Amino acid sequence: MIFLHFPELYWGKVGFQGYPAIFRLEDWGISWERAEELGDRRWGRSYHYLFAWVFVLNGLVYLAWNLWQKKYRSKMLPSREQLTSDHLTGEIRNKLAFRRPGTTATDKYNVLQKISYLLVLFVMFPFMIISGLAQMPAFTAIAPELIDMFGGRQTARTLHVICTVLMLLFVAVHLLEIALAGAVPRIRSMITGKFEGVKTPKQGK
Amino acid sequence: MKTYEALSSSCPETASLPFLPNGFPTENASSFLPLKCLTKIASLFRQTLTSPGILPSKSPPKTVYLGRTLSRRKFATSALGGLLLSGCDTEFYRPPVIRDGPMGVADVLTMASQRFLLSGQQLVQEHDTREITKNFPVWNQANPEDEDYQRLKAGGFTDWRLAVTGLVNRPTELTLQALKRMPRRSQTTMHICEQGWSAIAQWTGTPLMDVLQAAGGVKPQARYVMIHAYGGWYEGYDMFDAVHPQTILAYGMNGKDLPQGHGAPLRLRVERHCGYKQLKFIKSIQVVSSVEDFGRGTGGVNSDYGFHWYAGA
Repeated sequence: MIFLHFPELYWGKVGFQGYPAIFRLEDWGISWERAEELGDRRWGRSYHYLFAWVFVLNGLVYLAWNLWQKKYRSKMLPSREQLTSDHLTGEIRNKLAFRRPGTTATDKYNVLQKISYLLVLFVMFPFMIISGLAQMPAFTAIAPELIDMFGGRQTARTLHVICTVLMLLFVAVHLLEIALAGAVPRIRSMITGKFEGVKTPKQGK
Repeated sequence: MKTYEALSSSCPETASLPFLPNGFPTENASSFLPLKCLTKIASLFRQTLTSPGILPSKSPPKTVYLGRTLSRRKFATSALGGLLLSGCDTEFYRPPVIRDGPMGVADVLTMASQRFLLSGQQLVQEHDTREITKNFPVWNQANPEDEDYQRLKAGGFTDWRLAVTGLVNRPTELTLQALKRMPRRSQTTMHICEQGWSAIAQWTGTPLMDVLQAAGGVKPQARYVMIHAYGGWYEGYDMFDAVHPQTILAYGMNGKDLPQGHGAPLRLRVERHCGYKQLKFIKSIQVVSSVEDFGRGTGGVNSDYGFHWYAGA
């Protein structure tokens, strides 16, 4: 992981070893040498960009397809009645009680799902790309405004890392929720496009 | 049509240089990035389609840059061809050696897209001198274990000579004093390390283009500028970077002589690239048509070692 090769985060334009940092892995018991051992940065960055390109190109295709099919309006935008405070608090209460969603076909996203998906798709993903670009030396010539927008290169780097952690958390929570909701039939439905309902343990035998 | 001899004789502090002969926009109409891209794509298409050189003709108009002659047609196709990765002349859109597999594809995508956005040869952001970083970190070698270097250092670099050889019209040797008498440029820029740190310093030096001019300009087959350093380091740069006004051979840092740890007596500043391209302790400059004879043949110590040759990031 690239971060391990410079395991400190700073705020502003400049930052280096010895400069006041806002986060230091050293303070968490992992030395610079130990962090260095955990990865090969020569290839680390190349893989990073390779998958960044896969992510960007795949994302563009996904975005174009869904816009063309007008899926966002019907699937993602919360409806007016879903945005009332009663509905929202009810959903949050359901969530906190870890109540299992119905065992019948649920082809619609609930309001919390919709909001978090919109946040990830249209806030976090673009933010990752922009904060990534703002760290590149070439962009000091292409678009210095982009770097100034963040208040400096090190701020962009710090926010890039923080956003990565948030996305990993999102993935973890997402997987947890799928597991709670019954993973096997849901994954099957993703592939076949049909939802056959969650079999209760009794039916399964 | 613009000749680059004319450009080099103009004030070295000139803000932006029209680089590509077909008159790419040098000033950006908008500072909003997506708009910039669209504007550029549109103007590229327009120029490529309307350029008389794009159609086969018996004597395409010629443009001279650094003594090197290029046809307009070749340039136009390289710009659009690079965009489409169509196997035309994509000289400035790819590294000298493309790595195997998907990694190579990603390398080219990164470099081509950035070079496309940089085709106006915009200058990098310059900072206020008040923003100069105290305690600028010293990275990599700080004192080359090289007998010649130690001897020159002991003599205060009075015997140090910069050899400019290879595909130049008049191979030459320059003393530090001679370099300091040439056109100079000072720039306060951000140094961005591949590992993640960044720091700001003011660099003063001679534009690389002026040094190449002092050697009579480059020959038509010149493609890369190989710069050799004490301690065994060497790094290759293409002409796109060599002619950029902020590519300087720096002998001064923050208003003083270049300190030992930062590459005395002379280091390269090739802005728009990561720190590992900013070669320190320069020994000589060699203009070449191919990088394959050096080291493992990838065009630099860093790329021999596995880093991407193009370090725009």
